[in-house]
Amino acid sequence: MRWLLLLCLAGAAHAADTLYLYNWNNYISDASVARFEAQCGCRVVRDYYSDNEEMLAKLAAGASGYDLLVPTGNAVEALIRSRQLRPLDKSRLPSLKNLKPEFLNAFFDPGNRYSVPYAYTVTLLGYNIEKLAALNLPTDTWALIFEPRYLAKLKGRVTVLDSQRELIAAAMRYLGYSVNDRDAAKWNRARDLILRAKPYWAAFNASSYIKELTVGNIWLAHGYSSDMFQARADAKKAGRPFHIGYSIPKEGAVLALDSMVLHKTGRSPELALRFIDFMLEGRNSSELTNLIGSGNPNRAAMRYIDPEFFQASADNRAIFPDASTLGRLEMLRDLDRRQRRILNRLWTEIKLR
Amino acid sequence: MASQRGERLTRLGATAPPTLFLLAFFLVPALIVVLASFQFPGEFGGLAPLADPGDGREHGLTLENIQFFFSDFLFTEIFLRSFVVAAESTLICLVMAYPVAWLIAKSPKQHRDFLVLLVILPFASNFLIRVYAWMIILGPQAALARTLNGVLGAFGFEPVSLLFSPFAVLVGMVYVHLPFMILPLYTNLEKHDPLLLDAAQDLGANAWQRFWRVTWPLSLPGVFAGSALVFIPVLGMFAIPDILGGTRDMLIGNLIKDQFLGVRDWPFGATLSIVLTLCVLALAGLAAWAGKARRTHA
Amino acid sequence: MRRLPVWLKLAAAASFAFLYVPLVVVVAYSFNDSRLNAEWVGFTLDWYRVLFGDKEMQLAARNSLAIALVASLCATFFGTLAGLAIHRYHPRWLVLLVITPVAMPEILLGVSLLVFFIQVLHLTLGLVSVVLAHITFSIGFVAIVVRTRLAGMDESLFEAARDLGASPWQTFRLVTFPLILPAVVAGFLMAFTLSLDDFVITFFTAGVGVSTLPLQIYSMIKIAVTPEVNAISTLLMLLTLLLVVAASRMDKGFMKGGG
Repeated sequence: MRWLLLLCLAGAAHAADTLYLYNWNNYISDASVARFEAQCGCRVVRDYYSDNEEMLAKLAAGASGYDLLVPTGNAVEALIRSRQLRPLDKSRLPSLKNLKPEFLNAFFDPGNRYSVPYAYTVTLLGYNIEKLAALNLPTDTWALIFEPRYLAKLKGRVTVLDSQRELIAAAMRYLGYSVNDRDAAKWNRARDLILRAKPYWAAFNASSYIKELTVGNIWLAHGYSSDMFQARADAKKAGRPFHIGYSIPKEGAVLALDSMVLHKTGRSPELALRFIDFMLEGRNSSELTNLIGSGNPNRAAMRYIDPEFFQASADNRAIFPDASTLGRLEMLRDLDRRQRRILNRLWTEIKLR
Repeated sequence: MASQRGERLTRLGATAPPTLFLLAFFLVPALIVVLASFQFPGEFGGLAPLADPGDGREHGLTLENIQFFFSDFLFTEIFLRSFVVAAESTLICLVMAYPVAWLIAKSPKQHRDFLVLLVILPFASNFLIRVYAWMIILGPQAALARTLNGVLGAFGFEPVSLLFSPFAVLVGMVYVHLPFMILPLYTNLEKHDPLLLDAAQDLGANAWQRFWRVTWPLSLPGVFAGSALVFIPVLGMFAIPDILGGTRDMLIGNLIKDQFLGVRDWPFGATLSIVLTLCVLALAGLAAWAGKARRTHA
Repeated sequence: MRRLPVWLKLAAAASFAFLYVPLVVVVAYSFNDSRLNAEWVGFTLDWYRVLFGDKEMQLAARNSLAIALVASLCATFFGTLAGLAIHRYHPRWLVLLVITPVAMPEILLGVSLLVFFIQVLHLTLGLVSVVLAHITFSIGFVAIVVRTRLAGMDESLFEAARDLGASPWQTFRLVTFPLILPAVVAGFLMAFTLSLDDFVITFFTAGVGVSTLPLQIYSMIKIAVTPEVNAISTLLMLLTLLLVVAASRMDKGFMKGGG
């Protein structure tokens, strides 16, 4: 009984100086967190999600008390419209000037009243270089995951993201539509495309494809650039007899600009602002890119980033896309509840058939 | 007089606390779900208000959710598929559990407790861990898949993938729920009077007839109890298809979970929950009825 | 004693193997010197070292224990009363009320509590909501164990106590309670184990920063599996093993209640 009391007391003592961070999995460097904890004398409690919808749903389901979230643009839009965010006190963010102007004033938050760009990723294709070369397959088109003539060689070795929005977006781009097109007929065409390809896929997978690629179970995965970067590094470190590569399909893809925002229910907004400013410092920001290969919107970070990232290669173009590639990337917009339900039914159908 | 009041007080004292707690945290929540299934979804998730918020937002009650459920055979199909998976799991559990339960029941008394403990022990690990074990075993790099595909390849067949398949889901379901079948079966078989079998043998029944005519009918209550304990949890399971399933292994549990924690459509999730509850109640009613019919028959 | 046919023994042995091989694999791989957890590389204790250095895992473990302790104490209180009431007064509605949460698919209880906590109580999900949820599903198990024990007892004991002039409270304190104590303890241990083990209901009712061991294991399985999962699994298995053995020592009814 006595140790129970002690536990409660210990819990209470902690609560005062704790930053609750709700972030994508694999989306921050442990070293940065440890340094921040040492600097502020506080504790950072981390919780993870693997999809924006999952995060929004958990918040709608009453998850509260998070100080800081790192949602993607469309989710920021939903959070702002549902008045869940706290406006930023920019006088507390001197390092805001480090950000590249092209990443400010995005559609979801003009004037950046609520959000500070953190990092970006592109949803693309990661692949086992040796296997795809041996099979004589191209590596730069969505046809790889949608066209039976390619998939026949990859049967059971492909995973796609377990995300309604992302998978349909990939199909929409392949069909030549915008990812934000809400025409039900076009969605149906995307569904048909997906259903035709589905028998060849091994699984819908939101997170463990990194491991599956690294182990060699999976040869082609639809996923986030940062995850592919990690799979590549892991495979190298584990001395696998193959390499992992990734590239942005030529039809275009989804760009996810993830931003730091303060949630209204958080109890330590001060600490959260300190954390944001901390993450805006060049060195801290660069750590994320060096660690997980995420795109970096921070000018001051550039000189700390491993020079390897700036060599010309398909992999690097996916992390720091050139202007023409950027033109083919789109950010997702939020859907209203009726559109969500239509998409929900499509998705159920996709999952079931 | 005084003792009668004391008795009434005792009765109240014993009955009230658990009743009140369960009314508050089981019955009321259940009714709230029924209500939620007639509400509009909130614009950003959750539920739209019941009373008019005065800003033109949707509010009040609607039949839209249940209409949505029946608007497409899709959702019914998921229910049907879940029933098939539950039935398959139950059947396999039964076939695997019967010999074990029988063996324990026929073992010398001093060994039985130990054998029962052996059945319970796997419970001692978290069910996620037990599911995860199959992820390792069925993985394409593991010995099982390699051997199997080696053999298949030798005969010119395409390699198969064991993990992320309906097969893997079934294995997981059976594995997690097998003890639920063994224990009630054992409890039942243990009570059988061996003299009955001796009598049957004296009357010239062979081993098969003794089983089919004597043991099996007598064990039916155990079979029903075990089947209910396997069938019902399998029906609502989402974690196993989530971890071991492939591209077609969506069950009701997954669909319900998605409504709440994936796509922000609580009212539809509530509707699905109500339909599932009705299914379970119907099953329970059916089992009770079958039990009663048997008893009156006997 | 009738001899059992060989094929029956073989079939039973196969079922036992089916039950145990996966657990052996989990334990064995906790000593595997490979991050990828796919093939056997070599022996190491590193994953236990990683585990003991993992702060989030420790926090989750502490949450799990605190939740299990509080929830099982409360569930034991409510469940024992329910068991007594059912045995003595046979109220059918109480039997239904106690058994239904146990018999329903877990997801339904999880979902209804989620909606209830958020929509009606406006409760911030966290330790409290998880504890309340765990009490709800544990009461039934405790009640069953206590009731089984009572059913096996001689009614004349209680009558004798009453005839000797004991008040209902005295009868309970001096006769009934000591007699059912083993069942109460077994019920408590069972509730504790169930709470420690629960994933589905916790999944729906846990909030910010409240991770329990099963939730932590789930996210590790879903996101990045390293043999650290196997290490925590192995330790957890040992712990629950001790609890189960202790509970079954306390009371025979535990095994039947467990079914």
